[in-house]
Amino acid sequence: MTAGPTRSGGVPAPERPRTGSFSRLRRNLRRSPAPQALAFLAPALLLMVVLRLAPMAGAVGDSLFHYSLSTQSRRWEGLGNYIYLLSSPEFRQVLAVTALFLVIIVPVQVGLALLVATLLAERTPGIGAVRTMVFLPVAAPAAVAALTWGVAYQPKGVINAVLGWLGLPDQPFLSSSDQALLAIIVIMSWTGIGYWTMFLVAGLQDIPLELYEAAAIDGAGWWACFRRITLPNLRKTLAFVVVADTVSSVLSFVPVQALTQGGPSGSTRLIMYDLYNRSFALGDTSLGQAEVVLLLICLIGVVAVQFRLLSRGEA
Amino acid sequence: MTRHRIGAGLALAGALTLTGCAASDGDPTPPTGGKVEITFVGTDPAEDLAPLLEAFMAEREDIAVNYENIPFDQYDNVIQQRVGGGDAGIDVLLVDAGAAAAYASRGLIVDLTDDLAEAQASSIPAAVEQSWWQDKLWALPFWTSATYLFTNKDLVEAAGLEPPTAAGERWTWEEVVDAAGRAQAAGAEYGLLFEQVDLYYQMQPLVESAGGGSGAKGADLLTADLANPGWIEALEWYGQLFADGVSPRGVDANQTANLFAAGQAAFFIGGPWAIYTLTEPERPIDYTVAANPYFKGGSPAMATGSWSIAVSSSSDAAEAAHAFVRFASLTTPGNAASVARIIIPPTNQAAFDDFIARIDQADAPHTAGMGELTLSELRQAAVNRPNTVGFTQLTDVVGRASSDIRNGSAVEPTLRRAQAELQSLWDRL
Amino acid sequence: MRLPNRIGSSGPRRLVVAVATWAVGLAFAAPLLWILINSLRRNDQIFTSTYPLSWRSFLPQPATWANYELVLTGQFGRSVLNSLLVTVIAIVVGLFISALAAYALAVLRFRGASFVFSVVVLGFLIPFDAVAVPLSNLFRSWGLANTYSGLILPGLASGFAIFILRQFFAAIPYELTEAARLDGLGWWGVFWRIHLPLSRPALIGAGFTIFLFEWDSYLWPLLIATDPSMVLGPIALTAFNGQYKVEFGAIFAGSVLLTAVPMVLLLFFQRYFTASLTTTGSKG
Repeated sequence: MTAGPTRSGGVPAPERPRTGSFSRLRRNLRRSPAPQALAFLAPALLLMVVLRLAPMAGAVGDSLFHYSLSTQSRRWEGLGNYIYLLSSPEFRQVLAVTALFLVIIVPVQVGLALLVATLLAERTPGIGAVRTMVFLPVAAPAAVAALTWGVAYQPKGVINAVLGWLGLPDQPFLSSSDQALLAIIVIMSWTGIGYWTMFLVAGLQDIPLELYEAAAIDGAGWWACFRRITLPNLRKTLAFVVVADTVSSVLSFVPVQALTQGGPSGSTRLIMYDLYNRSFALGDTSLGQAEVVLLLICLIGVVAVQFRLLSRGEA
Repeated sequence: MTRHRIGAGLALAGALTLTGCAASDGDPTPPTGGKVEITFVGTDPAEDLAPLLEAFMAEREDIAVNYENIPFDQYDNVIQQRVGGGDAGIDVLLVDAGAAAAYASRGLIVDLTDDLAEAQASSIPAAVEQSWWQDKLWALPFWTSATYLFTNKDLVEAAGLEPPTAAGERWTWEEVVDAAGRAQAAGAEYGLLFEQVDLYYQMQPLVESAGGGSGAKGADLLTADLANPGWIEALEWYGQLFADGVSPRGVDANQTANLFAAGQAAFFIGGPWAIYTLTEPERPIDYTVAANPYFKGGSPAMATGSWSIAVSSSSDAAEAAHAFVRFASLTTPGNAASVARIIIPPTNQAAFDDFIARIDQADAPHTAGMGELTLSELRQAAVNRPNTVGFTQLTDVVGRASSDIRNGSAVEPTLRRAQAELQSLWDRL
Repeated sequence: MRLPNRIGSSGPRRLVVAVATWAVGLAFAAPLLWILINSLRRNDQIFTSTYPLSWRSFLPQPATWANYELVLTGQFGRSVLNSLLVTVIAIVVGLFISALAAYALAVLRFRGASFVFSVVVLGFLIPFDAVAVPLSNLFRSWGLANTYSGLILPGLASGFAIFILRQFFAAIPYELTEAARLDGLGWWGVFWRIHLPLSRPALIGAGFTIFLFEWDSYLWPLLIATDPSMVLGPIALTAFNGQYKVEFGAIFAGSVLLTAVPMVLLLFFQRYFTASLTTTGSKG
């Protein structure tokens, strides 16, 4: 709180209002400044509408047509594309795989990020260096992460070498339908955890120390404090990280595209990859757009539920 | 308050000017000296195609050609989206074997039938046929390809076996697998590696040798046929290779040539370009080149075909683009220049003959006899990819099914599912 | 007074915590180290020297700079600079635009704020890659093909960044705004003098989302800017993964460069990040 109060104590004269009495200003203070708000919002809203919402509205429109690639013709399809998708066993598998993926990746990433953030809050020698090491993978582009982990996951690659050294058998990783999804989750988490840790570290540091001082007087230990003070105070940050992690995990598909193409046996065919493959590689845009709409509806549902938690934290 | 709003406005304007400046900075340079500028896209490093561009621009001083490289794994997608969206920034493009019909039906490339007679006079017939669809020619031949059986001599001889040679009998797949197993017993890490694991290019010859056909049936080649006995037999054999550990699961297509070059495998199925990778190590392996194997009792089949060159329908300089395409395909110096820095057969007859004479020396003595072998293989064993408008779907579905089978899925159900899926994709066309 | 917010309250416990912390750090750094090691290996040795595990797995034998020479002599260097330029401009401009919007949403109490906020949230739920194709056609018709603007613009509309900043601004006590207003600061002044300086952690968090969007973008640049002078790092990197030849050594060397460049920025910003955290942490 360095900036605000000191500034307000000695604001230079030109900033003072030259006209109007103090009481009028007071009345105006809380009034909704709609024109100003619009001015502040305009650039972001303009970009948001042009670069996201308008194309998305176009996608909703396209999803109601059938566009034939071979004859270049377009015909009204109504909800036909949606019915086709939802009745196709392949697409239902995609939904199931995506749900499984989210159920694993979100708790794993958020849980580990919380653990790492807790460790980073300790007074350990060289903590700055460790902090850097945890954050560094964030800088690796997804293409880099996928290509290099692909080499590491090789049957005679470095990971199996380490396992062998530990006396464990070689693992199939990406070529097994039981392990491929986990292998993809590991790649995403390597870059993801450090990122979410940053938010949690900030959240931890924002918890007022007085709360811990009071607990210390009561003689509470670390675990009791963690449960009664840290977690409740971190709840808003955690809820935010959960929402954001859910969204960003659903939307990432580079490791799948680069390494497994959805296999083996569809075990890594996440919805975003399926969508990419359908509309981009196979060129079936109308079906692809229907899939985007379904994805968006699912996301809105998931996020709405998670927002409930967020606003309850605010109350 | 007004003052502050202006402040915000100015700051924003400043920010936008910043991007504005950056933008004008990056604008493509305007054509110099009244030259027509065209853009040629392909999927090889710019250095490799530089000789072709230089040769053309020396001949046609009124045209400037820029080359843009699009990564191979995204090439087809990007072309379909960009040219389909009317991108005038693409004038000339390479068209992969099998893709000509799909591109033509989507209106991405222009009719080049007027060049047919010249193409037939100057080029290898199969390379011209590759781009023939609905009685029109859609692209001119550029490169072709052949696949070979590469053998690590030391690893196979260690097992007490005589490696196959360019001049010798064509091996059967059964012989290769048997020898590969023995080489592994004698110390080889892997028995057999495929350069293009799971890709249609690699799978088609296996299936064709087992009598399974291309997978596309019917007059318009839009009836999926992936579960016939030939497909099942070939894919059973393929799956078994990986189940038995003769070939490794979990090694990507982009890794196999490097593994063979590092002496990790007894046999390798790949194209002539693999020679680059093979000459790279500090101590290169001792290897032989032989004919692509076939199934016992089946017919010889070898993957062939490669990129053709076409004029984009979204080009705003179609005449110049056409001139460049003709130079690159129909003239001997042009077509030969395109392979000056890359080991792949050109399609112009004279350039091709030169390539055949040259390839024996590509990495002598290992490559001795490779020219003669290539000629006889293209005559006897070459199978072209089917010219179906649903080629993209075919390669996608076959690639996934092969990958699943490689990783242990049961063959017949997988192929049946793949056939049904492909048919439903094709029906939507 | 020793506070119970740390696990390491006694000697042995501190040791356990230190070991665990360093183990975590090394686990995250190990893959990067492995990339670095491989970037110094000959192409053919990347696949032969790792298995089974021995000292050779960790020491390139012989070490070579050839991969870096290959990477730096071609187009790649330029592409890293392109990526950097595009990313930095997107972060600066994007943060500014997002902060303005977030401020309006969190502080200026106008009617319809919650509606606008839900539009922003919707904006960050829309997968950009899914709308990239129609948008790229539009961009081309606006003459933005092969321009830096064409590459930068999509990253500026970051609903996620607005979201982060809005949450942070909303947590700044409103009394502070009121006091400043009473002292005669305009809304712009409150934004510029109070909310922005107080929000460094949020700005860095939001900046990273924009960073990731731009630094990671792959599909979009392929659609809009493939001119050799405009190519971005990740695309130049995959060019080494060619159809006829794969230069793994160069891929690793390129990966080192692509990670190291933002790493330097990251280290630089991290100082601010922790510094500002200590100030906000002490505000009580």
